[in-house]
Amino acid sequence: MANGFSGPVAQIVDSYLARLRKGLSGIPARDQDELVKEINSHIYESYRNDTEGDEVSRILRVLDKLGEPSEVLSSRMPEAMMTVGKKRKLPFLILAGVLIAFFGVPLGIGGLSAAVGLIIGLLAVVISFYVVAVSLILTGWLSAVFMIVRLFSPGFLDRWVDVYPLVSDPTFNTIIYIVGALLIAALGFGLLWLGSRLMRGMRFVFRLLFAKIKNWRKKAPAGGERTLGSDH
Amino acid sequence: MHYIVFGHNMENKITQLRKGILELAILGALSRGRHYGYSLVRTIAGDSTIDLTEGTIYPILSRLAKEGLVASEWVESSQGPPRKYYTLTPKGREAFSILEGEFRKLAAIVTNARNGAVPDDPGDRLNALDVSKESDNG
Repeated sequence: MANGFSGPVAQIVDSYLARLRKGLSGIPARDQDELVKEINSHIYESYRNDTEGDEVSRILRVLDKLGEPSEVLSSRMPEAMMTVGKKRKLPFLILAGVLIAFFGVPLGIGGLSAAVGLIIGLLAVVISFYVVAVSLILTGWLSAVFMIVRLFSPGFLDRWVDVYPLVSDPTFNTIIYIVGALLIAALGFGLLWLGSRLMRGMRFVFRLLFAKIKNWRKKAPAGGERTLGSDH
Repeated sequence: MHYIVFGHNMENKITQLRKGILELAILGALSRGRHYGYSLVRTIAGDSTIDLTEGTIYPILSRLAKEGLVASEWVESSQGPPRKYYTLTPKGREAFSILEGEFRKLAAIVTNARNGAVPDDPGDRLNALDVSKESDNG
């Protein structure tokens, strides 16, 4: 990275800017470049105006006055992440923003992958739930239809399917199977209904979380300034 | 005493107060001319003893830009990397004059409250009693 410095000073600045960039992962690349460029310019100007002592102590003083990358970014990250998440509709970015809002630290790669893992896990549970529900409905309905056909033409598909006689009367036997099949289908529909309830519950929990975060942000310093401005 | 009452909250309160004022100070500095980040810090902090973490101005600037109160452009510098200059937009100018008026009023409230707490003048004390009587009735 060309930053306008040379020697050990350039290395120190590079490592600072690299840490800054790490904290920015998740916001659009153009915005990242812009902020890094701006902070680099700040470091350069500040360094040029501080002429006491040797190079290394000068640059360290400059960076100390500027603040840690996390300090420089902490008040902007949650917002930036949330906006990006909204724009691209990427749930894991929103989740990362939420986590940052809660714990106040940019997550980095490890945290993001944990968040992604969590989302994938949840998705898998939801998907398998619906797969079970749909297959129950399909099984129930297909068996019911199959049995109803057998009611009118006994021996239908006998070559492939072996229907175990529960009672001696074949018609009554078929009716028992139809009822059983319909029960299975009903179970599937029950699961679907339960699923919609669960989703509603989850949405409720998430909305509650978001409301909490909003309140928290209102109380946080960043929100304080805004209320001062929005009085008019 | 205050530190005992508020504990670690006090630091948070000071940060909060500073951030609000810092935003106003940024708008104020820009209302008198364009600035890049570092010159803005120098203008605001001056030689004062206020311990300003310089990086904190950048989140504020980016928010002000998002709100359309400031505009920015990159300008090549005769020495070193280009600088990002900020200027107030007309909307920003308007916002600053409103906020500045409000700030003056608030500062006056804070100062008056401190000066008027213990009236030395007998006439003042009478007024103070009247006020307390009124508030008792109300």
